[in-house]
Amino acid sequence: MFDSNFALGSFPKILAVAPTTIYLAIVATVIGFLIAVLIVIVRERQIKILNPIVATLVSFIRGTPIIVQMYVVYYGLPQLLVALKGMGFNTDPNGLPAMVIAISAYSLNASANISESIRSAYHSVDHRQYEAAVTVGMKPSRAMTRIVIPQLIANFIPNFSNLFLDLIKDTAIVYNIGIVEIMAEANIISSIGFKYIETYLDALVIYIVICWIFAKLFQIGEIIARNHVFHTQKTI
Amino acid sequence: MLLELKNIKKQFKNNHVLKGIDLSVEKGEVIAIIGPSGSGKTTLLRNINFLETADSGSMLFREQQIDLAKPTKKQILWARRHMAMVFQNYNLFKNKTALKNISEGLVFGQNKSKTEADELACQALDQVGLLGKKDFYPSQLSGGQQQRIGIARATVLNPDIVLFDEPTSALDPELVGTVLHDMKTLADKGQTMIVVTHQMSFARNVASRVAFFSDGEILEEGRSDEIFDHPQHERTQQFLSAIAEDY
Repeated sequence: MFDSNFALGSFPKILAVAPTTIYLAIVATVIGFLIAVLIVIVRERQIKILNPIVATLVSFIRGTPIIVQMYVVYYGLPQLLVALKGMGFNTDPNGLPAMVIAISAYSLNASANISESIRSAYHSVDHRQYEAAVTVGMKPSRAMTRIVIPQLIANFIPNFSNLFLDLIKDTAIVYNIGIVEIMAEANIISSIGFKYIETYLDALVIYIVICWIFAKLFQIGEIIARNHVFHTQKTI
Repeated sequence: MLLELKNIKKQFKNNHVLKGIDLSVEKGEVIAIIGPSGSGKTTLLRNINFLETADSGSMLFREQQIDLAKPTKKQILWARRHMAMVFQNYNLFKNKTALKNISEGLVFGQNKSKTEADELACQALDQVGLLGKKDFYPSQLSGGQQQRIGIARATVLNPDIVLFDEPTSALDPELVGTVLHDMKTLADKGQTMIVVTHQMSFARNVASRVAFFSDGEILEEGRSDEIFDHPQHERTQQFLSAIAEDY
């Protein structure tokens, strides 16, 4: 029988760790975004040597499950630190918090996906506008910031929204390396009371609400950006 | 001499698009470049304002010698700030109003204040009869209106030379006339222009000189009446006789 009291009782406990999920998703996205911008510069400017390396890394990251990437970072990062220590760097592989590992793995994952998304938004802006901008005497950098980038941002937001929501959902596996977020808390509570459906339904509701709120925020952001950039009269 | 091009060569992979173009333009001249599609007309214009880099060749512009194969960033910016271009597909900035499309170049290319730039842009819009559309975005304007704004965007900069790249090719036939009218008005004011066009009536009646392009070369060049009435080269005769237009 479905125990609604148990479900209601465990809901606040699971909700209490929701900030961990949100924190991880936001920090990984911000760091991932910054790395993604560098990746895009390397790839679009076709910088020698770096371009093929970065392209290969991006395709590796996009072609493997995030849980595998997380384990690779979980077991690989401490070894890297040991190696660095051996080379004389002051690193401490033992004191590495699980959150740092999770943020590292998720940032890398996000950077690959976001970089592809930025590139597709960049290519969707008609390059001939850039050409027109430089022919009226704008410096190339100015042509980018005045003409290309505003349109790129408006085109980028919908994809970025999807990537961010995917990342929130993907954080549901970090309990594997010991981080207590929504899914971990649901696992813990359900195994104590042997009430599985109740706790997982709680988790489900919390995920839906979080994702809905962020989806709505991005939607508003997209409309503001499109109205501002293209003057289209879309309403919320 | 305002502009002198010497031996411009450009190839894309094995395709020799320009095979050594020489062309000189005096101040106030209107040069029409005609010829079949794919003969290198547009590529020539794109080499003049560095949207493409030539494989070899040089340009003497306002008494400055520029190696077209190895221009410096400073030379590119300098040259672009003294010339302007009108594109086949208008290429208006989609995120800017008609007014801002025109004033951006004044503000960011010529360091004018925003107020002064907006004033000049309004005058330019007024001249092409589109002042009422100043707050419209390109997506809200017809092709003809967009192209007239494209022309205003170029001419407001007061350039020494305007390069027109098939300015009427993408237009509804009904709208071609208005754009050609604007161009003729410009020519009458003494604006130096190089016009790549398929509009033979324009080439004949407005251009002071016509250059016939074929397969990456200028086969024939001369006064427009000479080229149209007495084409010397067989390929020019063939091209002109194949055109249905009554020029």
